[in-house]
Amino acid sequence: MQFKDYYATLGVERSASQDDIRKAYRRLARKYHPDVSKEANAEQMMKEVNEANAVLSDPEKRAAYDQMGQGFQAGQDFTPPPDWGNGFEFSGRGFAQNDMHDASDFFARMFGQGSRSHHTHQMRGEDRHAKIVIDLTAAYTGAHETVQLRVPEIEANGQVSLREQTLQIAIPRGVIEGQHLRIAGQGSPGLNGGPTGDLYLEISFRPHGKFRAEGRDIHGKLPLTPWEAALGGPIQAETPSGPIDIRIPPNSQSGRKLRLKGRGIPGEPAGDAYLELQVVLPPADSDAARDLYKKMAETLPFNPRKGNGS
Amino acid sequence: MTFACTLTDETPLSLVELASACHVEPAWIAERMMAGLIIEPIPDRLDNAVFGSRALHRTRSLLRIERDFDANPELAALVVDLLDEVTRLRRQLGEIPHSIDIL
Repeated sequence: MQFKDYYATLGVERSASQDDIRKAYRRLARKYHPDVSKEANAEQMMKEVNEANAVLSDPEKRAAYDQMGQGFQAGQDFTPPPDWGNGFEFSGRGFAQNDMHDASDFFARMFGQGSRSHHTHQMRGEDRHAKIVIDLTAAYTGAHETVQLRVPEIEANGQVSLREQTLQIAIPRGVIEGQHLRIAGQGSPGLNGGPTGDLYLEISFRPHGKFRAEGRDIHGKLPLTPWEAALGGPIQAETPSGPIDIRIPPNSQSGRKLRLKGRGIPGEPAGDAYLELQVVLPPADSDAARDLYKKMAETLPFNPRKGNGS
Repeated sequence: MTFACTLTDETPLSLVELASACHVEPAWIAERMMAGLIIEPIPDRLDNAVFGSRALHRTRSLLRIERDFDANPELAALVVDLLDEVTRLRRQLGEIPHSIDIL
């Protein structure tokens, strides 16, 4: 286990006041908050900043950390002393057990001490949250997905360690982005024989090359040849649930949207699919093609920059 | 072993369950509900209220902003509204082709 220098994480001196720590935390929270940050590693940095703040903003934890960490540098191999934590009471404050799966091994081992809690009555374990990323097509069909989680476990000696857990989840048909799946009994373990908490998985979709979802509705583009757009007629269009036969209205232009009722994500009611027409010109890369374009120019007096384009 | 799950939109959460999922007291949520910061319309009786995915997501976002920035609830709600709008607009932006020929 490597030692974590929480003062360095927050960029403050070891002698920093609680006010200095609060200011440093807020500055870094603004910089790395995953909801607002543009930094590439924002989520990981925010976890580290939260962890450092959870220790340094709590006088008891900070005192224990200072006493234990004297002479250690960040990254240095570290083994907690056998009497670690004696004389301090810091369990259950500042960093919820729920957040423990985000914590470093160092934090989980040093500060995630379930049995040091003075609770003697049964307590339900806390609910946990994670995200699950699925393919858009899985929303149409349902799917079995695998998620990997870091689970805090209370050892016999009362210390907490993190264990990798793999779960197979049955994703029901018709889920949409932002919805939560609740899996009973897969949260944090209860205390003193209390029931285990639940696991909540928030659904998001892997980027799809052709379609994006807005609620149950699906939006995508439908490329057309100029003659398909001009003359209209039946074509086959791709949707996330497979190809379907549709009829293009004559005189269609790029940007026109076709609504395919009920072709969005299944549900009660199902969403719709919106296909934006995109007229694609054949390249003028041969004599025959250029001749054809010249012939069109001679035959069809047309200036799209004049009036409404007609 | 495959775990079955329920959708919170089909089997919504009670006030107590939502509070448990967010690690706050029910009173914390009730206070923000009465201020119209979590769901609208506000039900006649709080203990009859049910909450789906949207409320769960919103409550967790509110909590994160309030906690991380020591923000007051109204300000946190405004930030969450703006973040949701930014997310929606960014998704739409993803559709606009990025190549622009400069003549």
